[in-house]
Amino acid sequence: MSENKPTVKPSAAAVSESDPESSSFYAKHKKVYPREVHGIFRNLRTIGILVLLGLYYGVAWLQWDGHQAVLFDLPARKFYVFGLTFWPQDFFFFAWLLVIAALSLFYFTALAGRLWCGYACPQTVWTEAFLWIERKIEGTRGQQMKRDKSEMSATKFRIKALKHIVWIAFALFTGFTFVGYFTPIRELAGNILSFSLGPWETFWILFYSFATYGNAGWMREQVCIYMCPYARFQSAMFDKDTLIIAYDEKRGEPRGSRKRGIDPKEKGLGDCVDCTLCVQVCPTGIDIRNGLQYECIGCAACIDVCDDVMDKMGYEKGLIRYTTEHNLSGQKTKILRPRIIMYTLLLLALAGGLVYAVSQRVLLELDIIRDRSGLYRETDEGLIDNIYTLKIINMDQKPHQYELSVSGLEGMELIVKKPEITANSGEVVDLPVTVRLDPAVLERASNEIEFTLTAKDDPELTRTETGRFVGPRI
Amino acid sequence: MVEIPFIQRVIAVAWPSFLTAGLATILFFVAFDPQDLAALLGKTKSSRMGVYTVGFFLFWLLTLTSCLLTCYFQRPCETKNA
Ligand code: SF4
Ligand code: SF4
Repeated sequence: MSENKPTVKPSAAAVSESDPESSSFYAKHKKVYPREVHGIFRNLRTIGILVLLGLYYGVAWLQWDGHQAVLFDLPARKFYVFGLTFWPQDFFFFAWLLVIAALSLFYFTALAGRLWCGYACPQTVWTEAFLWIERKIEGTRGQQMKRDKSEMSATKFRIKALKHIVWIAFALFTGFTFVGYFTPIRELAGNILSFSLGPWETFWILFYSFATYGNAGWMREQVCIYMCPYARFQSAMFDKDTLIIAYDEKRGEPRGSRKRGIDPKEKGLGDCVDCTLCVQVCPTGIDIRNGLQYECIGCAACIDVCDDVMDKMGYEKGLIRYTTEHNLSGQKTKILRPRIIMYTLLLLALAGGLVYAVSQRVLLELDIIRDRSGLYRETDEGLIDNIYTLKIINMDQKPHQYELSVSGLEGMELIVKKPEITANSGEVVDLPVTVRLDPAVLERASNEIEFTLTAKDDPELTRTETGRFVGPRI
Repeated sequence: MVEIPFIQRVIAVAWPSFLTAGLATILFFVAFDPQDLAALLGKTKSSRMGVYTVGFFLFWLLTLTSCLLTCYFQRPCETKNA
């Protein structure tokens, strides 16, 4: 397997440990000013980013059946996902979903490298949004660099202040939306407008806004390089058939500047004109011509810009391109390799299993709590009473009427004070019940009995729980 | 040994502890409803959001401590006698 690993160049961090000279690279971080690009991948990314941002800010406002469509209602401990309601008892499904998510990430990484990082990762999406704001206010890369070098002036201050105000406003809206997924967003908005927001919600909105502002405004590529756990281990999932962004060294080298129209072969040059544009557009500030590096987030900006250069020079596009290591070395790329087939089957099985399990969920929960005041009570007729509180949760989206029965011992009488056992959708009902029994049938002091609760309108909606019936010592 | 820059060290302590504290908070509050906990302590009025938040920061304090200690013990021992 190890022979099939692509060659990843040591990262800056790794280098700095062995080579004190270069440690200054990240001891004093140099701000990266990514240059604006245009091109097909830029457009694809913009579409992706707009769709994702639209989903994020939009879905929070969708309604479904009278409640927020997607709401992880922490104050009420209920999770709504469109027509489904989940409870803390359903945590298992959530864990299952996380396993599927992790596996999908492995799958896509093996197949398509860091497609996730470049197109869909929230860090990328919000950084791009913040960069866009920055460009609108501060101008192009060159203008930004010049301004940052210049002395502080009234104009510079004004421009910088404006940028930060817009960033903060955008971050606050992001934080508000985030909290809106955990407490109903319409209520939240109302509370903000009437200045009656609770302290905890306020805190989390500010917390998340600050994180957005810090990560997308200031930290940017450093999050990917130093904080992202995925970036650290993704290369382990790469092989020589993984889609990567690479510079075609054979074609490009020896690099060198030249006049347009000159035949590079005559001068002994490759196709790279050494314009360094690919370095200038890179959001993580690396040079793709040094080979596959773990800082590369696969954003394809260098492809777009280099394709432009190739066009202008009249060379063929694709000096930097999406490719695989096998392809670069002239071999064929194999898509269906054992690990991909394995991942596919595993993913299908897990996803199918999850859908089945969710559809088979019994939307009723029953808890038996014994009365704490005493083990049992004796009636005047010499019968034994055990008292319980049944905790019934109707997890269904509609109200139900239930029937309760008890079994396990001969001749038990079930006494329920309420004439009807009903629970509204999402309601938790505490039901006191008494089980009465002639002690003559008891063979032991402590006996297992079973309570069964069944919906009257749906015999499939049923739960059986075990309780204990205690009598006098025999 | 190369000095790791201060900010990098702060991230190395604060970030993993933040992640694990978040995970611990989720697992803990899936198992326990803040309102049941509050009832055990004899308090009747408490907001769940408040308990979640306090719980999260208590967990963070714990994980932060252990990350800090790791960072501290990672320093090489002094070898004066050598
Ligand atoms: S953009 Fe293309 S031509 Fe320019 S330096 Fe990079 S690889 Fe060479
Ligand atoms: S090397 Fe190219 S693809 Fe990788 S991050 Fe830089 S610009 Fe994006």
